Amino acid sequence: MQPSEATALKGAPKGALFSGWSAGLAGLLAPSEEGLKRSYFKGTGLAAALLSPQLIILLFFFFVPSWKALSLAFVQIDPFGGKSVFVGLRNFVELFASENYRYSAWLTFWFTITQNIITLVIAGALAFAIDHIVRARYAYRTVILLPYAIAPVVTGAMWAFLFNPSVGPIAGWLHAMGLPWDPNLRPWDAVVLITMASVWNHICYDFIFLTAAMLAVPQSLREAAAIDGASQWRRFRTITVPLVMPTVFYLFIINFVYGLFDTFGIIDAVTRGGPAGSTTTLVYKVYQDGFVNLNLGSSAAQSIVLMALAVLFTILQFRALDRRVNYQV
Amino acid sequence: MSKFVRGAAVAGAAACLLASLASPAWAQDKTSIEWWYANGGRVEEGIQKIIADFNASQDKYEVVGIKKGNYEETFAAMIAAYRVGQHPSIIQSSERTFLTMIDSNAIVPVSELMTQQGYTVDWANFVKPVADFYLVGDTPAAMPFNSSTAVMWYNADHFKAAGFDGPAATWPEFEKQLYAIKEKGISECAMALNSDFYWSLIEGYSSINDYPFGTKGNGFEGLDTEYVYNTTPVVQQVERLKKWIDDGVIQLAGQGLSPMQLYTSGTCSTISASTAGHADVEANAKFNWSAAFQPHEEGVEPHNSNIGGAALWVLKGKTDAENAAAAAFLNFIAQPDTQAWWSEWTGYVPVTNAAYEKMKAAGFFEKHPTREIAIKQLSQGTPTVNSRGFRFGNSNQTSAILVEEIQAAWTGQKTVQQALDAAVSRGNEVLRQYEQLHAAQ
Repeated sequence: MQPSEATALKGAPKGALFSGWSAGLAGLLAPSEEGLKRSYFKGTGLAAALLSPQLIILLFFFFVPSWKALSLAFVQIDPFGGKSVFVGLRNFVELFASENYRYSAWLTFWFTITQNIITLVIAGALAFAIDHIVRARYAYRTVILLPYAIAPVVTGAMWAFLFNPSVGPIAGWLHAMGLPWDPNLRPWDAVVLITMASVWNHICYDFIFLTAAMLAVPQSLREAAAIDGASQWRRFRTITVPLVMPTVFYLFIINFVYGLFDTFGIIDAVTRGGPAGSTTTLVYKVYQDGFVNLNLGSSAAQSIVLMALAVLFTILQFRALDRRVNYQV
Repeated sequence: MSKFVRGAAVAGAAACLLASLASPAWAQDKTSIEWWYANGGRVEEGIQKIIADFNASQDKYEVVGIKKGNYEETFAAMIAAYRVGQHPSIIQSSERTFLTMIDSNAIVPVSELMTQQGYTVDWANFVKPVADFYLVGDTPAAMPFNSSTAVMWYNADHFKAAGFDGPAATWPEFEKQLYAIKEKGISECAMALNSDFYWSLIEGYSSINDYPFGTKGNGFEGLDTEYVYNTTPVVQQVERLKKWIDDGVIQLAGQGLSPMQLYTSGTCSTISASTAGHADVEANAKFNWSAAFQPHEEGVEPHNSNIGGAALWVLKGKTDAENAAAAAFLNFIAQPDTQAWWSEWTGYVPVTNAAYEKMKAAGFFEKHPTREIAIKQLSQGTPTVNSRGFRFGNSNQTSAILVEEIQAAWTGQKTVQQALDAAVSRGNEVLRQYEQLHAAQ
């Protein structure tokens, strides 16, 4: 609760809702003391009760799984849970020694960065353009937003079909242009395909945020610059861009998380990690090894590495980028 | 504070109680058990029909059939459920999980269950190559249900146009036919590669031609088995497939398209796929389709092909009433009438001799000659150590590795020999892990 809201509430205890609240909370709240804000609770009980739903969610969806992963990462275990052998760091050693895992890590790095930048650039261009479209602006906006309503798996199935070398219409055009397109046999084509599908599915998310951020840029600043003779491009570069940077920074992290984790459905539908593991990102590998191959020890070790990576990169991003982002308008 | 907590606790408890009271088992006073299966399409319709017939045939038990995805997904779901005690009574699991299931300590051998529950099943009546695969000692550990083997489907119109009666018996001759079909412009795609090609064209190939796949009798004689397929003509078979891919004779369907569709649509002239494809082909192929035996190498007397499909396993940790329900259902499945109906509906092989004889007597195979190929192919020649099947632990994992490495050969990242060497060495690591975990028992 913001301080200003707290004061406002203190001054306006008349509403039926509010009196209901105070009656209901009377037994739970310690009587407020002079000089303290109304939002201060003396007893910790209510605070704990109010926090508990979030804490329980965190406990069951984060801490318990993390602990499970940690405990599985150092064993070889029969998937039925009957037998397990402690193997120390062997799961990790085998992981880092594996050529496939190193490839997967490299691919994930390349893939997350590329889709991140392409998504931001395209979404930025569209958001910039929408500002200058007068007629049918809402229609454009709706069309751009549509992909967001489509589940990743459906996106994947669609792209897989369109670019299928045997029956896909777009693959047919590519062949007609003399390009040897075949994501089943050419690993690079498969990587390009999952990148395009992931970007397409996520552009709209970035677009919403960037459009909103651009709308929030004060008109007066732009007008002032226009009066000073700055061109449209210059106004965009020197006024709009710096002012939307906090949003871009936020999107950069969200895109990163999206690329790292949420593209699973797309990869599963478009390539199933193939051919020859060429589109197996780290997350897809965790799934493959854990849920298809039932090698729980290795899968758990991979999850740990992935968690460490995600934490590390997020910290690095905040460190590196946060300083250059201006939050003041 | 305490009121708040107590209120919440009471509400939660009440909700749990209501949820448990609302379960159908309590409401109907029947013992209800779940069966998780992995087939879709027309096969799934058949499964639901069998369940409905069983439920209608008596009033003590109720079977609820739930589809949990493909074989791997169903298997993973079952394991996750087993670990928290929420597993179904009956699980349909593919043939390659046999050893994993046996060593899981999570199953009740079917023959044991049937005896306990007072059913006499004539195991000797089960078709030999099918039943033998599931034997532990003299009695089967699982109930053979949807058993199949791969046959060579072909487009008879295309073959006729190219001047052939049908697919040749040997691989070199068959290769000439495929090239002829492509070169004469009869079809752009002489063959579609099925997604389970490792089962039909690698493992089945080893079985028919009597090549060892692993040491220790393909794993039958011990957990310290190792893969050896990188030293057998499997290398030449993968070379052959690679050449066909490079020459555009064989097509990969990729994602978003089932390889079988390439065949049933008339695009591709042949596909090596399960006999269970009958359900699909009969419904969708609008040309003169047919099927033949899988080819073999020149100078080789062909042996039986490998079985595929799945069997029904009964999981541990259920009440006696639930076990009785599972036994009653399996007994229903084993009836010749059910078997014959199931085989006719789907194209899977009849798994008991009684059902086979019944279908023969009814003249079914005269009307549908391609339906008999699978069972004949499963019985051809004398079974050898190499053709009787596999006993490898974590076989889902090693076959995924094999496919990945073979793809690396096809994409040109590795030579065929390098790819198969890598598949064998990675596969052997998996076998060693399995051995380490299970050797103690």
